[in-house]
Amino acid sequence: MQAMDPDQANTHYGAMAMALHWLTALLIVAGFTLGLSMVGLPFSRQKLQWYAWHKWIGITVWLLTCARLAWRWTHPVPPMEPMPQWQRRAAVVTHVLLYALLVVIPLSGWLYSSATGVQVVYLGLLPLPDLLPKDRPMADVLRGVHLTLNFTLAALVCIHGAAALKHHFFDRDAVLKKMLPRSWNP
Amino acid sequence: MMRLRSFIPSLGMMLLAAGQAGAQGVLIDKSEIRFQSRQMGANVEGRFRRWKANIVFVPKDLGRSKADFDIELGSIDLASDESETEVKRPLWFDTAKFPVAHFASSTIKDLGGDKYEVAGQLTVKGITRDAVVPITLKKDATGNSVAEGSFTLKRLDYKIGEGQWADPGTVANDVVVRIRMVLPPV
Repeated sequence: MQAMDPDQANTHYGAMAMALHWLTALLIVAGFTLGLSMVGLPFSRQKLQWYAWHKWIGITVWLLTCARLAWRWTHPVPPMEPMPQWQRRAAVVTHVLLYALLVVIPLSGWLYSSATGVQVVYLGLLPLPDLLPKDRPMADVLRGVHLTLNFTLAALVCIHGAAALKHHFFDRDAVLKKMLPRSWNP
Repeated sequence: MMRLRSFIPSLGMMLLAAGQAGAQGVLIDKSEIRFQSRQMGANVEGRFRRWKANIVFVPKDLGRSKADFDIELGSIDLASDESETEVKRPLWFDTAKFPVAHFASSTIKDLGGDKYEVAGQLTVKGITRDAVVPITLKKDATGNSVAEGSFTLKRLDYKIGEGQWADPGTVANDVVVRIRMVLPPV
């Protein structure tokens, strides 16, 4: 077994953490775009299919986020780059909120679907239990909750991405590189 | 929410009721006509908000017993306003032409042990087919009689969902209709 340089070992996130991060990023963009597009479709088989895909993506994000939290709990993350205190605090708050939303948003969608009386069947194979009985006024409230949380997430994702690019191109530090494979060195 | 009062049993039936326990008006607020369909493999719950029932139930004289229903199809309660609008269109219920579904019992059989079988004709969208509804009769805490039953309706038999919606892979042919009728003690 080859010994690793301890300094080098902790400059990047591990392969699993990176894979989970970028897969989640991809699914968030796909799920968000699909969600915005599907609501305006005329009632059709395509619309029902898109709703189903949107729900599958959401449940997948929820599962991946639970896995990430467990992984992060058991695997140390690289130390923070030197930066002003307010930026450190902002980064911690943003990350906590992102994790919280990635757990809560799929649940709000599942609750919303249950309240409309439509069961969620993950990947078309695994029927999930209805969390609420069919209740139209409740469904209208949950629709608003699901939308608000998603626009909050979209705003946070933009801040998160913009901050990463700012650190990379203006501060020229390693914030973004930590989440990119070692071999890829932009 | 508006509900129509149940039909008052005809005078003859009321006299019959006076002589032998059994004929009653339905307690419409405690009663319901629900259904469950499957859409892309997911259960979708719904119900009808407005219907009328004319039920005469005399266990000792099943020959005179009957159960007739008029269901206002436009009063359907589904997942969203959009799906409610859709299901009223010509490809589905075509409520402009066929606003009411009608069930008229022809025979009621005693199967023993509080179980009965109500056979009759169900007319939806101008199409009449035989339907058999097994019923279980119970008493609730306040002495009301509660009749519960369910049967599977083949939606394509009644042309509910034509054209692009005829594919049972999108919306299953089987729709489980659940009926719960609460009748006051005589």
